[in-house]
Amino acid sequence: MTMGRLRILIVGELSRLNKYNVFSISILVAIIWSIVLFFIDDTMLSSLLPFVLLVDASLMSVMYIGSVTYFEKIESTISTLLVTPITNSELVLSKVIANTIHNLFSSSLIIIAFYFIRDIELNFLLLFFGLILTTMFFTIAGLSLSYYQKDFTSMLMTIMALSFIFLIPTILYMINILTWEGWEYILLINPIQAAEQLIGGGFKGAIYNYQYYIGLIYMGLGSVLLYLFHTLPKFQTYAIRQSGV
Amino acid sequence: MKPLFEVKDVFYNYPKQDEDVINGISFKIYKGEIFGFLGPSGAGKSTTQKIMIKILEDFRGDIYYDGKSITEFHNEFYEDIGVSFEMPIHFSKMTALENIEFFKQLYQNNADTEALMKRVGLWKDRDKMVGEYSKGMKIRLNIVRALLNSPKMLFLDEPTNGLDPTNAMILKDMIREFKEAGGTVFITSHIMSDIEQLCDRVAFIVHGEIKEIDSPRNLKIKYGKREVTLEYQENNQTQTKHFALENIGQNETFIKLLKEKNIETIHTGETTLEDIFIKVTGESLHDNG
Ligand SMILES: Nc1ncnc2c1ncn2[C@@H]1O[C@H](COP(=O)(O)OP(=O)(O)O)[C@@H](O)[C@H]1O
Ligand SMILES: [Mg+2]
Repeated sequence: MTMGRLRILIVGELSRLNKYNVFSISILVAIIWSIVLFFIDDTMLSSLLPFVLLVDASLMSVMYIGSVTYFEKIESTISTLLVTPITNSELVLSKVIANTIHNLFSSSLIIIAFYFIRDIELNFLLLFFGLILTTMFFTIAGLSLSYYQKDFTSMLMTIMALSFIFLIPTILYMINILTWEGWEYILLINPIQAAEQLIGGGFKGAIYNYQYYIGLIYMGLGSVLLYLFHTLPKFQTYAIRQSGV
Repeated sequence: MKPLFEVKDVFYNYPKQDEDVINGISFKIYKGEIFGFLGPSGAGKSTTQKIMIKILEDFRGDIYYDGKSITEFHNEFYEDIGVSFEMPIHFSKMTALENIEFFKQLYQNNADTEALMKRVGLWKDRDKMVGEYSKGMKIRLNIVRALLNSPKMLFLDEPTNGLDPTNAMILKDMIREFKEAGGTVFITSHIMSDIEQLCDRVAFIVHGEIKEIDSPRNLKIKYGKREVTLEYQENNQTQTKHFALENIGQNETFIKLLKEKNIETIHTGETTLEDIFIKVTGESLHDNG
């Protein structure tokens, strides 16, 4: 792997996100969220902002990487990249990094809007740390997920289904509807729950208990393991199938 | 002479398919030659190219590039080769020049792409989005992309497919110039004239098997009939007769006709490569065969 080529690929990926209007869409989404958050009252804001950032870093990451792979599929551009000196790990890593940068950018827009419009207290260092890990995990997972989707519609359906399975319990737990003690442990296997802990850690008054650290390990180690044992090794087969070869 | 590329007893079946689509093919490509794969649609031409360029990796048999098994090469292999696929492939929302500049950065060696783009007549349209290009323009841009790393060897899958005669001519000239500058070419086609005009040697492929390999000229000598066709007047009607070209001077009937009849036309005819293909393989080059 050469840093030079990786940099070229990341820049290329980012400029394509721009050309294919993915950037504009994420700006639009950030504006919409900002408007919504602007009109709600203070008590709701403290729980809704972390939730918006959570959705942005998790589900939206999967959506964006899904749309990127969709554009690549209709243009078959991966097959051309496969016959250049680029290695698969450079290719996959550049996608992960570029999409993480892109999604952080959209999360930042929301945060900045809030910081200036509404009075919120944040631990920026921990918040961005949490957002980076979460975005990275879900981008890698989204890439792996896209290997199995026939088209964009099936990708959307899969994301919907997964959101229901993973997001709903976390929300219900957040708003104290799931009261049974056992949920605390069951939800540890939920990646959204892990992300929620990490992002919540960036807000004032967060408690850094064992759940926070498990979230940290889940997103951090999970990203690395998923990348090494699934996203990277399955890439070649996917790329070949996707480019109609 | 040592071949630059050697394919030895290669078999291939696509994942989850039981039947082999490549059935034990062997051939050598020498440095500086244009080697053609001629065969009808579905014969296995594209599959063979994809195996040779290390896109399909689970083949059986041996393939050597420059004396070393291609399985031992890593991505440095791609510094040496240029590839064009059956379909032209680019980022449609980037301009032609942006596409070319992006791919150029990925290689150590770069060709003079401005000259190449001028050569294929695309320089004036370099700032247009590739999505706005016509099919022919995309194909021409594709050949520029295949050449932008100054490769030692080119792999071209049906390169003239979809090009008008003028642009097909330019493309063929470029392939010849590439060879004259020392390059080696693997080219597939189902169009007989492309192969005949370009290739030093051609392999006939049907159903994943190679039926014959030789130069177009040798194939004609080996399988072709050379004959003379006479048209002459007899009883106020035009008659046609064919004679073998061999020892035509000793052919009494032929000489007698020449002396006695009113000859309208004399033609010598060669069997075309297409006829030879049908004769050797028992298949037609075109569909519904
Ligand atoms: N991705 C694939 N999966 C399964 N079979 C394939 C695939 N691609 C091609 N084939 C089959 O392999 C055979 C050879 O195809 P191909 O190499 O594309 O032929 P050609 O390029 O000579 O037209 C055909 O029978 C085709 O149906
Ligand atoms: Mg083909």
